[in-house]
Amino acid sequence: MAETKEKSLSDEKPKPRVRPIVRLGIFLISHSFHVSVVCCTAGVLALFLLPVLAKNTYISENALMPGSASPMLSNQHVSDGNRLVKDLTNPNSKSSETGIESHKIIAQYMLDLGAEVSFHKFHPQMNQFHPLHFFSSPDSGKIQENYSCSSYGINTVGIIRAPHGDGKEAIVLVTPYNALKSGFGEALSLGIAYSVFSLLTQVTWLAKDIIWLVADSQYGEYAAVAAWLREYQTPKFSSLSTPNAEMCPDVNNLFELKGHSISGSKFSNSFRRAGTMASALVLKVRDQNEQFEDTISIYAEASNGQMPNLDLINVVNYLAVHRQGLRVNVEKLWSLLNSSWLKSLGEIFESLAKVAKSLYPKWKFGIPATEYVEGTATLASSLYYQALGVPTGPHGAFRDYQVDAITLEISPKFSLDKVWRNDILLRGGRLIEGVIRSVNNLLEKFHQSFFLYLLTSPSKFVSVGVYMIAFALLIAPLPMVAASLYVDANSSSNCSKGDSSTPSAITDTDEHSIAIRSWRWLNSAKLVFIVHLWGAIVSLLPYFISQIPDCSPTTSFMIWVLLSILSLLTLNSVLASPLACAKATQEKEWALVKSVTISSVFIGLGLMSVINFATAEIGALLMVPMCLLAQPLKLDVRAGTLRSFCRMICNLVLGHIAFPPAAFFLLKGMLDGFGNANVGDFWMWVESLWAWNSATYLFIVEVTYIFSHG
Amino acid sequence: METFINPKSLFHLLLLPCLLLYSSIAYNSSPVEAAMHTNNWAVLVCTSRFWFNYRHMANTLSLYRTVKRLGIPDERIILMLADDMACNTRNKYPAQVFNNENHRLNLYGDNVEVDYRGYEVTVENFLRVLTGRHETAVPRSKRLLSDEGSHILLYMTGHGGDEFLKFQDSEELQSHDLADAVKQMKEKHRFKELLIMVDTCQAATLFNQLQSPGVLAIGSSMKGENSYSHHLDSDVGVSVVDRFTYYTLAFFERLNIYDNASLSSLFSSYNPSLLMSTAYYRKDLYKRRLEEVPVTNFFGSVMETIHTDAAYKALSRRNSGRFEDEMSLDQSVHHIKRRMLIKVNDGDEIHDINPELLQGEEGASKCPWSTFRKKFQKAENVDSLLNYGLVAMIPLLVISTWLVQ
Repeated sequence: MAETKEKSLSDEKPKPRVRPIVRLGIFLISHSFHVSVVCCTAGVLALFLLPVLAKNTYISENALMPGSASPMLSNQHVSDGNRLVKDLTNPNSKSSETGIESHKIIAQYMLDLGAEVSFHKFHPQMNQFHPLHFFSSPDSGKIQENYSCSSYGINTVGIIRAPHGDGKEAIVLVTPYNALKSGFGEALSLGIAYSVFSLLTQVTWLAKDIIWLVADSQYGEYAAVAAWLREYQTPKFSSLSTPNAEMCPDVNNLFELKGHSISGSKFSNSFRRAGTMASALVLKVRDQNEQFEDTISIYAEASNGQMPNLDLINVVNYLAVHRQGLRVNVEKLWSLLNSSWLKSLGEIFESLAKVAKSLYPKWKFGIPATEYVEGTATLASSLYYQALGVPTGPHGAFRDYQVDAITLEISPKFSLDKVWRNDILLRGGRLIEGVIRSVNNLLEKFHQSFFLYLLTSPSKFVSVGVYMIAFALLIAPLPMVAASLYVDANSSSNCSKGDSSTPSAITDTDEHSIAIRSWRWLNSAKLVFIVHLWGAIVSLLPYFISQIPDCSPTTSFMIWVLLSILSLLTLNSVLASPLACAKATQEKEWALVKSVTISSVFIGLGLMSVINFATAEIGALLMVPMCLLAQPLKLDVRAGTLRSFCRMICNLVLGHIAFPPAAFFLLKGMLDGFGNANVGDFWMWVESLWAWNSATYLFIVEVTYIFSHG
Repeated sequence: METFINPKSLFHLLLLPCLLLYSSIAYNSSPVEAAMHTNNWAVLVCTSRFWFNYRHMANTLSLYRTVKRLGIPDERIILMLADDMACNTRNKYPAQVFNNENHRLNLYGDNVEVDYRGYEVTVENFLRVLTGRHETAVPRSKRLLSDEGSHILLYMTGHGGDEFLKFQDSEELQSHDLADAVKQMKEKHRFKELLIMVDTCQAATLFNQLQSPGVLAIGSSMKGENSYSHHLDSDVGVSVVDRFTYYTLAFFERLNIYDNASLSSLFSSYNPSLLMSTAYYRKDLYKRRLEEVPVTNFFGSVMETIHTDAAYKALSRRNSGRFEDEMSLDQSVHHIKRRMLIKVNDGDEIHDINPELLQGEEGASKCPWSTFRKKFQKAENVDSLLNYGLVAMIPLLVISTWLVQ
């Protein structure tokens, strides 16, 4: 607004001095088309440059000192672990229906080591839809009413108290275990954890308590861990737990039996706690494996793109690579690895770097093309999982309580002989021991290193300061285009006025009309608001649809679509009727509407980038071109030129791509082939998103809105 | 130094052939420099907290052990430790601190007296200790009760930077503060000579502001250099000693209480390639030649016992002028002679004493023989005296037994 005034002033009388920043603003606005083209291209290019700009990770926290202590895990502990694996894989233990036997075995082993043991009984929580839940605290510890005795899980928890510690902090080790159908991998992960646990009962250097949680994964790994964490973090001071236990005799029986058989030991029926959690490690061993060497995969993404502190990943990576000789993996988009265009892009960057280096030897930013492709694939998956907002493992539950956690998945090169098994127990155990010892050295919470980063390989990262540049470039054109559209809309109407009336005859009524005109954007804002409202309604609909019992995904999707259209019509008739007539009278208003839309998108994206960067980045990639190109189809059709035709095609294509279902199908088609795509899949996908209360929802709202507008 | 010496004593000094030998015995008739070296103090400071700074506490405790071994008693050592590694929960060996991975020597044995520990180690307390401005309730054991005859060793280790030393992860001691404290000490006659030894990164910068005479300073690294740890104890899981301190200790391990290796031999023992930094010493404020100052002047407590005729010699000395001075000089010569006799195997130290100078001095000496003989008898003929005494005892014994029978 200020800039427009300034401009009109300078038009009227040639003022000698305009402040440079204002002049720059005017220049940018008047050349908004070129500026936006340049900025968008630069933004996309910067995104592709990120793997090149990635820095090597380094351990930022002095106190960690990973690998400074030699591992103490010996063959004695390994054979202890082996014993547990044998007992668990023994067919006798599996005979029980509920799998209680194996929990008893684990508990007995823990007790033998002198740890405190307790069982935690939980009822799996069904997926609930909490719109905008991510703004609130993780959970308030609600107790569900519809317990049934048949469906419950049992977590076995063992706690070692630090011999000289103050008991105010704890490190958590989680091994998901499904007693009913456990594979050999799960048993092996328990073996590794047990061997570490048996070592830690003997050492004198513990400063933090150790909690070993054997999470019952028959209702999902995440659910078990989340249930235990909920219980841990929200202590109940009433005696609510006892009636629950009484309701289900089976569980009671289990507790009783344990209590009697080993009276006077450290077993307890009540929920046991240790101190504040410093960090958590989830350990898994994959059953089948296609790799040629022992690898370890790190999963770090928690809900809404939150990441654990980079130092934790660094410690694991350092110890795995430099101490235990394991190969470290982070998630990649495998389909990108073979894409030829990425490879050629990498080669271009490589050759550019060579040229730069030949010009000035100190410039060393090039990376080999293959490394570039891998980095891009990793970066893409990092972006994707952060944008999706769905945790990639049980570690996500910890992040909701501000505990840094990662999932380590060991995938050994498989063979069944004993030497190999001992080897993997030893190396895995030593890795875990090293990480625990390192975290044990920690004096404060993880805070030194980054929380906002994207990984391009296990030892390379792009920090927030770098990747924000790409995003900023991408959304920079939005306010400029909005401003220029607004100026155009105002000045064009001014001109038409100026033709009819002479400048000297400015009367009160004219001033009044100018005042009205300057508030005209409110009309457009109203339209935009209504469409946003519709978007919100559409995104809330699935909650009600999910209440309908016995609904297949396809039918519920259909219901959703129908209801959405219905709500649009209703809204249109109820609220937008005055607007519709305004539309009819003033077709040129579209520019103003577009300007308001763009500014709202700009604000939305800016806010979103604070909440979840990856979502905002992907959203910007889709929405910015669409916003900039959008124009009423009617006008294009009427103009009939080649340029407008092209623009129309672009609009249609972009509009369809950015519509979430369409985008989903395209992605799925690209990844899996179009054959098995199904409408129901989208429903499932959306359902999985609510389950995690994902911020992606907001994004969908916005995209939906844009589409409807376009 | 000249500014403190009145013209009269200056005249004496000019007469004497060897100024440096003169000062080594610490006799001076000027009011300020009048005190001779009578006692030794050590202030040992570890300024950093946290388990991963284990080595700083080990450094300080090693120095503590060394100066104690070389004769400074516990009551004259102010030991400041900012954290308690021995009882840290992460310590694999509870209540023990080692400075070597061979774990042969427990530095935190039964006989360690920590004066300031934990959060008591602050810049304020440190400066109070140096300047002696304590609150009335502070016990004597926590005070630096030095006087104008004191040689003080000030050892500091921790994390430092350009002209500062970090205390407790929250405060800093700046080079200005240190220089000011030393100046105050000088004004209050709290030391005769002060050796500041600092093992931090960029340690040399901490001495930049020092102005007071009689101060000798050595730091582990120059400006822009880091001081590194010597080795990692993979059993305890931390680095246990810093390089500079390690090689200092290595030097002192070869010495016993009677050795008189010179300060210059200590300073030249630092090898920059082993240290991975350049040890820097500042001696422009220090007037004695480093070749002639034994390390035990600071790191030990070897006192000369000088017999005097009068109970209050100091008074009479002040009254009589030149004669007393020369007598003292003569004593110094003897002192040196005895040193040469006692010397064990430090061959490279012999060049400390210039024979020609000795000759000249002996020629110049005009002391009364009685004093000399007394001293001689006391010091060197003790053995023969003892033997004669024993021989004399035998007939006495025979007579007594005969009488009894």
